[in-house]
Amino acid sequence: MNSVGEACTELKREYDQCFNRWFAEKFLKGESAGDPCGQLFKRYQLCVQVRPALAPARPVAADSKAIKEKDIPIEGLEFMGPSKGKTENSS
Amino acid sequence: MKIWTSEHVFDHPWETVTTAAMQKYPNPMNPSVVGVDVLDRHVDASGKLHSHRLLSTEWGIPSIVKSLIGTCRTKTYVQEHSVVDPVKKTMELKSSNISFTNLVSVDERLVYKPHPHEPDKTVLTQEAIIAVKGVSLSSYLEGLMANTISSNANKGREALEWVINRLNAEIEEFTASARGTMRNPMAAAAFVEK
Repeated sequence: MNSVGEACTELKREYDQCFNRWFAEKFLKGESAGDPCGQLFKRYQLCVQVRPALAPARPVAADSKAIKEKDIPIEGLEFMGPSKGKTENSS
Repeated sequence: MKIWTSEHVFDHPWETVTTAAMQKYPNPMNPSVVGVDVLDRHVDASGKLHSHRLLSTEWGIPSIVKSLIGTCRTKTYVQEHSVVDPVKKTMELKSSNISFTNLVSVDERLVYKPHPHEPDKTVLTQEAIIAVKGVSLSSYLEGLMANTISSNANKGREALEWVINRLNAEIEEFTASARGTMRNPMAAAAFVEK
């Protein structure tokens, strides 16, 4: 599956492969200790969420701050920490 | 406001369904989902896995409309928070739209649990709360959206079955090729012994 930021798709694929294997073979069997995909996740996140200047030395396209560039309204959504309950939408 | 609920049983164990749900996209039944990103993922203090994801969807808007409003604006975005508890064997997924929130809100909740009486099956309970705002005929529009959600829910279940079949096929292929490589060295050893 592609990333929302097209330039990050390859990094995402590498992370996804690692995560899917860990999820099925370790996490669901009760062995959640250890974080074999942490590095891959960081590299992928740097592409999707952060300025390219902080990303590791590998060619990234100019539009790699994918979410900021596309003005996707994720501000205000609580992501960090074990959040309880969903984000409230006014209705 | 409209509330839609449904329940479905998968003929697969909970671990299989949950693994497939984490890899649901892309699949041929949901072609409008064109991008998925993980924004945060961590295991909390009680051992549950939290994932926050952003999904982008493209609804096949006619190209003339795209040329008027620009291609960047034809995507709509959904945020999704899922929690997997490997001990209690529950997966809960909540999602809501983050585009057009001034016009409509669609909040969905899905829960996957092992079937209470048949341990090799999984029960999915789903609900959606739809609210269309500031427009007349809102209850009519909400009804239309509930129908769309219902048919999408059917596609979503077919999509999981498709992913489960794909994963099983990959496992069989891997096992078959592993058996093949084991057979050859043994045959070679038998030949050399003669």
